[in-house]
Amino acid sequence: MSLQRSARRYLQLDVFAERPGGGNPLGVVFDAVGLDTVSMQAFAAWTNLSETIFLLPPTTDAADYRVRIFTPRQELPFAGHPSVGAAWAAVEGGLVSAREGALVQECAAGLLPVRVDGGAGDMRVHVRAPRAREITKAALLHEAALRTALAKLPPGRQPPALWNNGPAWWVVELADGAAVRAMQPDLAAIAALTQASSAVGLAVYGRTDASDHQLVVRAYCPADNIPEDPVTGSVNACIAAQLAQAGTLPGRDGRYVASQGRELGRDGKVHVRVDADGEVWIGGQVQCVIDGRVDWPAQPGSVR
Amino acid sequence: MKRRYMQLDVFAGHPGDGNPLAVVLDAEGLDDTTMQAIARWTRLPETTFVFPATSPDASYGLRIFSPRREVPFAGHPSVGTAHAVLEAGIAPPRNGLLVQQGIAGLLPLRVEGDGATRTIAVRTPTARVMEVASAGDPRLQDALRGLPLGLLPPALMDGGRRWWLVELANESSLRAASPDWNAISRLAHDTDSMGVCVFARSDDPVYYLAVRAWVGAPAHFEDAASGAANATLAAWLASRDALPGDTGFYRVSQGREVGHDAIIELLVDDDGEVWSGGRACTVVHGDIDW
Repeated sequence: MSLQRSARRYLQLDVFAERPGGGNPLGVVFDAVGLDTVSMQAFAAWTNLSETIFLLPPTTDAADYRVRIFTPRQELPFAGHPSVGAAWAAVEGGLVSAREGALVQECAAGLLPVRVDGGAGDMRVHVRAPRAREITKAALLHEAALRTALAKLPPGRQPPALWNNGPAWWVVELADGAAVRAMQPDLAAIAALTQASSAVGLAVYGRTDASDHQLVVRAYCPADNIPEDPVTGSVNACIAAQLAQAGTLPGRDGRYVASQGRELGRDGKVHVRVDADGEVWIGGQVQCVIDGRVDWPAQPGSVR
Repeated sequence: MKRRYMQLDVFAGHPGDGNPLAVVLDAEGLDDTTMQAIARWTRLPETTFVFPATSPDASYGLRIFSPRREVPFAGHPSVGTAHAVLEAGIAPPRNGLLVQQGIAGLLPLRVEGDGATRTIAVRTPTARVMEVASAGDPRLQDALRGLPLGLLPPALMDGGRRWWLVELANESSLRAASPDWNAISRLAHDTDSMGVCVFARSDDPVYYLAVRAWVGAPAHFEDAASGAANATLAAWLASRDALPGDTGFYRVSQGREVGHDAIIELLVDDDGEVWSGGRACTVVHGDIDW
């Protein structure tokens, strides 16, 4: 096979996955120095993955590596599953090694602490999520739309609330995990609610006594043309913030595992940790599905 | 288990201009469920899987999957898979031909040149004219509203997948058109077709036709470069003695309206067979571990 000299290392990962296909895919381009923003955006559009990231040397001594995160349409300042995948790739690819399990990621939103636990084959990466805050009175303001969106669903202990940790999510506890799995979402009503409240979507969760997870989560973004999102870092961070505030975190020592995506044929596992300072950490396992090289021009194509 | 994997851009001389394709080589042992899961996971329009041929007349076997289902035949996956097979050294061309063995049977591919300017064209399954409609056909009214129609009447062609082929009066109207997705979806549903493929003749020195292909529900998708749809279009034009140029060979421009810039080469040979092809470039190569 002919290999051109401009080829860079490329991985396609499955994040929050215990087996290939279970999680959320991510494209990772190494050694991205020399690719301009237009080329990065063009490649992220071409992969058609929810996110493609580019690894770069840090611009500050305080960081171990730098990442730029692109959806097929735009660059993002921060996102959960791309950050987990970035840290995993930076360690596995030998770019960095963690000092006592700690790394610092530089991204457009700033410097982000990362934890790396376990060894080869069983490495788990956690990133600290931006602090979430509750938008108080939102539930009162949107009471009628909420009631319509949640009609006939068995309620849980926490009242529905709007939380923001970058994106804003409606967070709704249901009676238990089985109620979450059985939910038939009224997507039109959810779209109406989220549009009226400038939320990206609505998430439901319920407790379960399954052997390998303590929470069942589903997330819907019908107004963004994503009826249901398979595995969502920011949603899980908002839910953890609500549970921590209420003092009712599942699991033990502030750690639990959430299951998301089974209803879409995935099987994502999000490892959540709330530390002594109340910071929420989101992580999980990463599967390396594709390992190779990418040959993408540093200059964009003739038309774009 | 690790298998060789490539991600290509087909009908493109430059990465990003064409139609993306994933190719899994060494696919022996993958079952249908696994292939479908991989094709969903890559999020590309099609993923192909290459097997050893079971027919002595074939160079290799292939299966083609979209994210939703297996596809009996498609043009850009056939051309791209041949490119991958040549790059990986799996099968050499014999007398300039490769033969793929797929669900649609054995199909020859013509290989010309090598390196960056190599072109590969697949002989497409014979397409049939299902129906010739009138310009005022009420089923087409909504989908074609506001578009200035060209000389040929709209036709429904079947080349494996069914497409409505509609000539527009000029290239500028074609490039400026915005598809009415709801109307296209209704038409596709009511006529058991993919959707609408519009075309217009061009004065450009490189290509004679400009094409846009609009796929109905649930995809609501404009195709960047359609090998099979263009082959049915060539068959339709040949049947009306309306092929552009005078050699049976012409080039098509497609995809500019969706950020691409593909060139597809069509040839209607002396036997009336339609060949659809072009260049391909390798963007990603490595291994897949699924």
